[in-house]
Amino acid sequence: MRAPSRLLGAAIGAVLALSLSGCGSSAPEGTGQVKLTLWHNSADPAPLLEMYKKFEKQSGHKIELVSIPSDGFEDTTQTKWATGDRPDILEYHATASGLLALNPAENLRDLTGEAYIARSGDLYQSAGSVNGKVYAAITGFPQVFGLYYNKKVFTAAGLTPPTNFAELAATCPKLKAAGVTPVFESGGSIWPVQILPILYLAGANQSNAYGKAIAGHSSTLADAGSPFVAGLTAYAKLQADGCFNKDIVTAKFEDSMKALVTGKAAMVAQHSDMLPALLAAAGDDQKTVDESVGFVGLSSDKPLVTYAPGPIGTFYLPKTGDAAREKAALDFVRFMTGPAYAEYITASKTFPVFKDVPDPQGVSSVLQDVKKAYDTGAVIAFNSDIPGMGGLAQLMSELIAGQKDPQKAATQLQGQVEQAAKAAGLPGW
Amino acid sequence: MVMRNRAAWLPWALPAIVLVMVFFVAPFLLNVRFAFSSWTSFRAEITWNGLENVRTLIDQDLLANAVTVTVLYAILCMAIQNTVSLSLALALQRTSGINTVFRSAFFLPTLISPLAAGYIWRGLLAPEGAVNSFLGIEWAWLGEPSTALVVVAFIDAWKWSGLITLVYIAGLNSIPKSLLESATVDGAGPWTRFRRVVFPLLAPALTFNVAVTLVGALSAYDVIAATTGGGPGDHTRALNVVMRQQWGQGFFGSASALGFTVTLLVIATAVPLVWWLRRREVTG
Repeated sequence: MRAPSRLLGAAIGAVLALSLSGCGSSAPEGTGQVKLTLWHNSADPAPLLEMYKKFEKQSGHKIELVSIPSDGFEDTTQTKWATGDRPDILEYHATASGLLALNPAENLRDLTGEAYIARSGDLYQSAGSVNGKVYAAITGFPQVFGLYYNKKVFTAAGLTPPTNFAELAATCPKLKAAGVTPVFESGGSIWPVQILPILYLAGANQSNAYGKAIAGHSSTLADAGSPFVAGLTAYAKLQADGCFNKDIVTAKFEDSMKALVTGKAAMVAQHSDMLPALLAAAGDDQKTVDESVGFVGLSSDKPLVTYAPGPIGTFYLPKTGDAAREKAALDFVRFMTGPAYAEYITASKTFPVFKDVPDPQGVSSVLQDVKKAYDTGAVIAFNSDIPGMGGLAQLMSELIAGQKDPQKAATQLQGQVEQAAKAAGLPGW
Repeated sequence: MVMRNRAAWLPWALPAIVLVMVFFVAPFLLNVRFAFSSWTSFRAEITWNGLENVRTLIDQDLLANAVTVTVLYAILCMAIQNTVSLSLALALQRTSGINTVFRSAFFLPTLISPLAAGYIWRGLLAPEGAVNSFLGIEWAWLGEPSTALVVVAFIDAWKWSGLITLVYIAGLNSIPKSLLESATVDGAGPWTRFRRVVFPLLAPALTFNVAVTLVGALSAYDVIAATTGGGPGDHTRALNVVMRQQWGQGFFGSASALGFTVTLLVIATAVPLVWWLRRREVTG
């Protein structure tokens, strides 16, 4: 009996030791340095990953990167989050709808008053904050949504890229006559097909008026003649007129990038964070991309780009209850938004969100087009502040398959918004 | 006599009972309440809300379609897999060198991850993929409402038929040769031998295979996610696909209600089916 007892004791001891070591993101003794867990998007560009290493070097803290695949990023993050697991630093969406789903008041540290907020202009009025409290540290330039177009195709057809939906509808038959797919849509990846309707709505969403009306419940998506129904109707008409690729249901996002670069398709509705994918489709040849691809704003009636703060470079600090790690996590935010930020902008060749940091040199011509369109007229995506809009892409799939008409799709989505808004306890619901 | 038999078997069944209790029954009982709760990612409180989640799923046109798709898919998978596997088993029953090679070849897909299998077939069945090139046609196999569900069921059958075939081969080999020889002497041809001798005596293998393929397909997710993601529209949006979408949007209560629906569906179909098939084993 004694031997088994001793064995049992040893086993329990070993399990306890292992369990304790598993909790070991605390400090190596006496150094004041800790191990921080960072859940990050797998699409983080190399210069951002380099910044994490620089922070490690400067602070002596260790960062354990937990990579969350960018395909299905929201679902996977939510799944991990729902288990009660919390990283020290979380990279996630800065939109109010994304933030509300994290239950910030309960789970996230309030960063209101940090120095970087004042340097960011009015960014935090539309992103990274809820009920007047700032929870996010946004370091990435917003995702800018618009229309990528193949310059060579348009030049050969003697056309200019459309900047409103009437022009888009008129351009379609001319491009088809030239033997080119006018607009390439990627229903096989599901999420890209919601972009065109969102672009359409920029016209009605100046100063986020439409988004606020839906989130505040003073209008509904399904109101008779609503801008949302009009956007879906315009999309359905483009499809009926044959403006899209034949394999719209199965085509993947990567196919759209390739079709655009090769000139098989004339236009793709996408956002600016997809430029690396565009470059990959061109065989990493920046010259090919610069020579063949341009970018313009598009909405129902005028040249507007739609922007939404993206997840790349947006950081939150979940409450962990460990004072040393919480302090180190705050140091990380201060590092990312501090003097090192200018180096990051130079290395990444992206545009800064802080007013006191100059634009980088040597930016690609497509990104310059993006910035130009953004400076000319930018409207926040109407769905940024509305919880429960995650079902839009699925409904677009049903619209494309002819299973739903625009009005029915709008009614169903309104139901999902109501479900989320009530759960989030938004005023007016 | 019965009691003594039960007492004698209990120690042997105990490990299985404990495993089922710990890993299936206990988690199920502990979690079933979430199907009737207001659990979301938006707030910390979880309150009892009765059938509100089910009502929401019905109001949003999600539940009825998901149940229909799931049941249709399960029936298709079960029918295709059992037909294909039984045919293969009859062809490969005899143990020989060449049959062993074929058995291994048909078993190989079982070892591949379902997601990988889905991605491979998605590439092959793309409008400009290898299948269409070979057939010289242009057809979006996974993008057309008329073919998507059937094609995904075929992919699932391709993935699992090797395993089901092995069970049928074992069943076929357990049939006494003397019975088949007697039937032959009595003048029974191959079809009569199969119908009157082989098929009835295959009942235990049939029970296992029908139950496994049906229950497996009722809880389908991976192959669908990798091939169609639930599309075109909602034509392949099975219960678990909708569950994943609800979960991803932070509606954990609704997602739990969908998970509970899968469980109910499995119990409602599998239990009577297995009972009926087992009864057939006794009388057959």
